[in-house]
Amino acid sequence: MMELAIPLLAATVQSGTPILYATLGEIITEKSGVLNLGVEGIMIVGALTGFVVAKISGNPALAFFAAGLAGLAASSIHGFVCLIFQGNQVVSGLALTILGTGFANYLGTSMVGQSAPGFSPMALPYLSQIPFFGPVFFQQDPLVYVTYLLPPLIWLYFFSTSHGLNLRAVGENPAAAKAAGLSVILYRWTGILAGGFLMGLGGAYLSLAYTHLWTNSMTAGRGWIAVALVIFAFWRPGRAVFGAYLFGGIMSLQLRLQASGIPLPSSLLLMLPYLLTIAVLVFSSWKKGRSEAPAALGVNMKPTD
Amino acid sequence: MRVIKILLIAALAVGFCTTASAKEMKVGFVYVSPIGDAGWSYAHDVGRQAVEELEGVTTSYVEAVPEGPDAERVIQNMARKDFDLIFATSFGYMDPMLKVAKQFPEAVFMHCSGFKTAENMGNYFGRMYQARYLSGMVAGAMTKSNIIGYAAAFPIPEVIRGINAFTLGARAVNEEATVRVVWTKTWYDPATEKEAAKSLLDVGADVIAQHQDSPGPQEAAQEKGVYSIGYNSDMSAFAPKAHLTAPVWNWGPYYTKVVNEVKNGTWESESVWPGMETGIVDLAPFGSMVPKEIQEMVLAKKAEIVAGQAKVFVGPVLDQQGNVKIAEGSVADDQSLLGMTWFVEGVTGTTE
Amino acid sequence: MLRLTITKRQEPLGWSSCLVVFGAVALSLFFSALLLGLRGTPPLEGLIVLFQGAFGSRWAIEDCLIKTIPIFLCSLGVAIAFRLQIWNIGAEGQFCLGAVGATWVALSFPSLPFWLMLPLMIAMATFAGGMWGLIPAVLRQKMRTNEIIVSLMMNYIAILILDYLVYGVWKDPTSFGFPMTQEFSDGAIVGKIGSTSVNWGLFHCIALAVIFWVFLRFTKLGYELKASGDSVRAARYAGIPYDRLVFLVMVLSGALAGWAGFLEASATINRLQPSIMVGYGYTAIVVAWLASLNPLYIGIASFLLAGLRVGVENLQLDLQVPAAFGGIMEGLVLLTVLAGGFFIHYRFELRGAKR
Repeated sequence: MMELAIPLLAATVQSGTPILYATLGEIITEKSGVLNLGVEGIMIVGALTGFVVAKISGNPALAFFAAGLAGLAASSIHGFVCLIFQGNQVVSGLALTILGTGFANYLGTSMVGQSAPGFSPMALPYLSQIPFFGPVFFQQDPLVYVTYLLPPLIWLYFFSTSHGLNLRAVGENPAAAKAAGLSVILYRWTGILAGGFLMGLGGAYLSLAYTHLWTNSMTAGRGWIAVALVIFAFWRPGRAVFGAYLFGGIMSLQLRLQASGIPLPSSLLLMLPYLLTIAVLVFSSWKKGRSEAPAALGVNMKPTD
Repeated sequence: MRVIKILLIAALAVGFCTTASAKEMKVGFVYVSPIGDAGWSYAHDVGRQAVEELEGVTTSYVEAVPEGPDAERVIQNMARKDFDLIFATSFGYMDPMLKVAKQFPEAVFMHCSGFKTAENMGNYFGRMYQARYLSGMVAGAMTKSNIIGYAAAFPIPEVIRGINAFTLGARAVNEEATVRVVWTKTWYDPATEKEAAKSLLDVGADVIAQHQDSPGPQEAAQEKGVYSIGYNSDMSAFAPKAHLTAPVWNWGPYYTKVVNEVKNGTWESESVWPGMETGIVDLAPFGSMVPKEIQEMVLAKKAEIVAGQAKVFVGPVLDQQGNVKIAEGSVADDQSLLGMTWFVEGVTGTTE
Repeated sequence: MLRLTITKRQEPLGWSSCLVVFGAVALSLFFSALLLGLRGTPPLEGLIVLFQGAFGSRWAIEDCLIKTIPIFLCSLGVAIAFRLQIWNIGAEGQFCLGAVGATWVALSFPSLPFWLMLPLMIAMATFAGGMWGLIPAVLRQKMRTNEIIVSLMMNYIAILILDYLVYGVWKDPTSFGFPMTQEFSDGAIVGKIGSTSVNWGLFHCIALAVIFWVFLRFTKLGYELKASGDSVRAARYAGIPYDRLVFLVMVLSGALAGWAGFLEASATINRLQPSIMVGYGYTAIVVAWLASLNPLYIGIASFLLAGLRVGVENLQLDLQVPAAFGGIMEGLVLLTVLAGGFFIHYRFELRGAKR
């Protein structure tokens, strides 16, 4: 049993990582009061950018960073449309997904079937020797190790720095924040851009580490799962980790169930991640009486308020 | 008088131009997925590029065309734009193509992997399963754990047939070999395909084969330090230490032949299913890790198949439950091959 | 020192909001042309090929009309939901289930005459689509879950259900194992209008549009829906409690998408197969936003977006532009219209600062 559990859990960590990046990004954005449904589009732009830069420069770390910048740039569209032009946040995000996916596939069509230099698993000394936890957590590629650092850093940001506290205030009650002298629009820009950066990184994980390939529509719906996971995580970074790994686990599990010869029709097994998403949403809403969401989420602050 | 001269020259020029362009033959290709998928459509497009090289021929293509009415419209558009020859490369294009063929009797229509024909419509396919058999032999010879993993996209007959041929080949060389199948339900999602390969590696497979269009599974095998068999094209660039060989398509020569037949007016409608002897399917070069004796054994078998002396689906062949599907000594006919929906003994997996 | 300020208009732009939409579309065409140039395709030629492919001949217009039908029906449903700020992203899945429901009738009772068969198929399709729309609605009202995610997840589940059926029990025995059902019997196929290639579904659309217009104009609920604007938290509309209204709207939304699914399966493909899913449900979102709750505008926008799809194929054929280009244009149109909407309520002003 142990021999099967360890590879499954190691695969879970890998498969949950891109989702985790995106979820953490969306948490930051939503905490500032902005709903960004363009995650899927932003992720895939990040995936393509990372791939192309890695191919051209031969430097995966540079490519990873570039992907983050691309995600930042893509999310800025959402910022312009919503923060400046008062566009409806829901529809703007959807439009960004459509645009981002189309854009990445358009430019990426000629890159399909090629490979680029990327990251490979790098076992950490000492830590990877720990029984059970070692092989699962510490024999991964460097980008996974980055995600181990992110949740505590984000938590610190939100709860211990004044900038983070202000950002949360902007998301809860923008009118009061403005009255207290905070620039709502500036904090929301921060939320959007920082979130977009992380989402781009999440996409790049797919084309730089998870595989070293690119194909059209590579993100395959992971961005949407990230949006759902934000709700599941009650907008908390720590819980986001749990959610992302849970999803990664389900995605890996259904393949492994097939591999071990379980005769369930694969269509049904493939439904598991989506059914689970709905289940976690129901569970999250049911568990907490009141909503944990930032109170002003999704509502634009009018420029003449 | 001058006006008439100018008009005459103009008319001649136009006439010359039209005759000049009439010499240019227009060949169209309809693909079901993006050509960059490094897989099925990519292989067809390589064939198209061979045709493009021909004198007096121009080609064009439309990719990622869903089967059904969109396909009908695309084929119709090509016909309306005076394309002389159109290739449609997916089973689901059959009915749409037939409808259009009836409307445009002057053009020639070629459908891949189907069975309906008309006076100006033929169909063609390739006996990929022969190459699969050979690649299975290599896998069977190289596996030590006797578990071979197979990442496959969708349970359609062509995929099932390939798995069966592969398994028969593996077991012909190694009685203990078994093949485990995982369905990814996607043609091109490298992440999922790689994950599928990993799940097979985790249950002990030490050779990974695929009926997928991306090299994802190859990467997984290389990372784990085991062997792999590619598909559609030579995938050794993605996994140089793992890639043993691959069953590959080689549509160029066949497409060139058809184009020339249409050009010369010798084309006739038929249903053809050529095999290795025409070069339409082949085995990619062996990786250096394949021992000489195995290479020679497989090449010898290939020669037998090419010469028509050996068949792949020859009895006795049992299915997973132990029933006799192909009786001893008899050869499965094309119809049963085309509609194959059961796995042979030695395959672990469902056909759903 | 000059400052750029934003002031609210005394009165929102009325008819000139049409100008805003046109301006936005023009802007997105401009950006799309730029992108074409980026890849080496001559932009102007590309746009011409696009337009010619979409509207340049009788067949092209017919092809557009054929595609307009499912887009229109899905958009109608999505528009109703959006009006109440219920974000129905599930039109794709509701369309799918509608096709599945209609297929069930066609396969189970193949020998029925068309006047029994077709209404039965429509009934089943709208029921299935409606139920698929009801689920996210119930979860939204009873469990306070986000309908965006739920309806989106159900899109994926619906497609997997379709896959499961056509690979399994509904597979055509003569299809050599390929995933498709048998071809529908004649009674189950909605026919073409005269000698055109457009099917009678067009009339279904017109009829439904008229019914919808009558509903909006002459019923209390319709009037309140149209006039509601941004304030949706009213406890009741026309005396109907909000909960029940949400259910009604989502069932209606799903039923319309389901009707579209029935028409695609019956008239266009004559069977059920996975390639019936081409993303009409997502295009519907773009149309619904562009056209708000006006059936005529929905029709026009549907036709234009159908034209985009048809034209993009031409771009592929003539200029080898990748198929994803259509998605770029759709996304750009929506974003520019969203941004343009700003100018209906606000305007920028350059003010000299008083020091």
